[in-house]
Amino acid sequence: MVNLNANISGIQNTMKSILEQSSVQPNKNVNMPTLGNPEIKGSAFSDTVKAIDNYLSNVDDLQQSSDMSITDLLSGKNEDITSVVSAVTKADLSFKLLVGVRNKLIEAYKQTMNMPL
Amino acid sequence: MEVENSFGPLDIAISGLRAQGKQIEVISSNVANARTTNAGNGEPYRRLEAAFIADGDMGGVKLDKILTDSNEFLKVLDPGNPLADEDGYVAMPNVNLPVEMMNLTIATKVYQANAAVLKRYQQMVQTTLELLR
Repeated sequence: MVNLNANISGIQNTMKSILEQSSVQPNKNVNMPTLGNPEIKGSAFSDTVKAIDNYLSNVDDLQQSSDMSITDLLSGKNEDITSVVSAVTKADLSFKLLVGVRNKLIEAYKQTMNMPL
Repeated sequence: MEVENSFGPLDIAISGLRAQGKQIEVISSNVANARTTNAGNGEPYRRLEAAFIADGDMGGVKLDKILTDSNEFLKVLDPGNPLADEDGYVAMPNVNLPVEMMNLTIATKVYQANAAVLKRYQQMVQTTLELLR
């Protein structure tokens, strides 16, 4: 479980850098034409990345609580195995969803980067 | 997919696991005290029964209360026993071991069924996530 947490912070860093790039780049080129209302800052994509960032902290919380319940079980503080199962399953499922979304996002990034101009 | 919502079936299955765990605890207490002539109040042990209640709409199950069986105590003829009354009968707990064993089997099966629901739901979510690939 400790390794998973390290993994999460890695994903978090990736997401943060993507977020920074997506929000900074449109503002750099002032002459670039904008679609729709120019006063709305940040594209739909950066909103998505922000939502993913939120979900990331959710997943992180679930991972932490599953980690804690395992520690409590092993140290004898808590003897309820079902609550451990519940926490671990929740952390597992949400982490799998996160990984799926991350893979999709990176795939989209690669496709955009490989687009012939 | 909201985090809290998609865990509904999971929480329900966990509540079932918990409830059946409690049921098995009650049954084990009954079995352990099947020959207890003094439950601390001078009377033989009274059989316990767990009662469950639905936890709201589609919220799973939870333990309502643990009730005592009001059936009469079993009278066993044993004149030599120091606990025997003037007729030579000893009051034994109203626990019926074969009944307890049947209840234990049912509780175990229901526990397994809840675990199967949990496992199957996990597989379903994974199948859905594979559509992302």
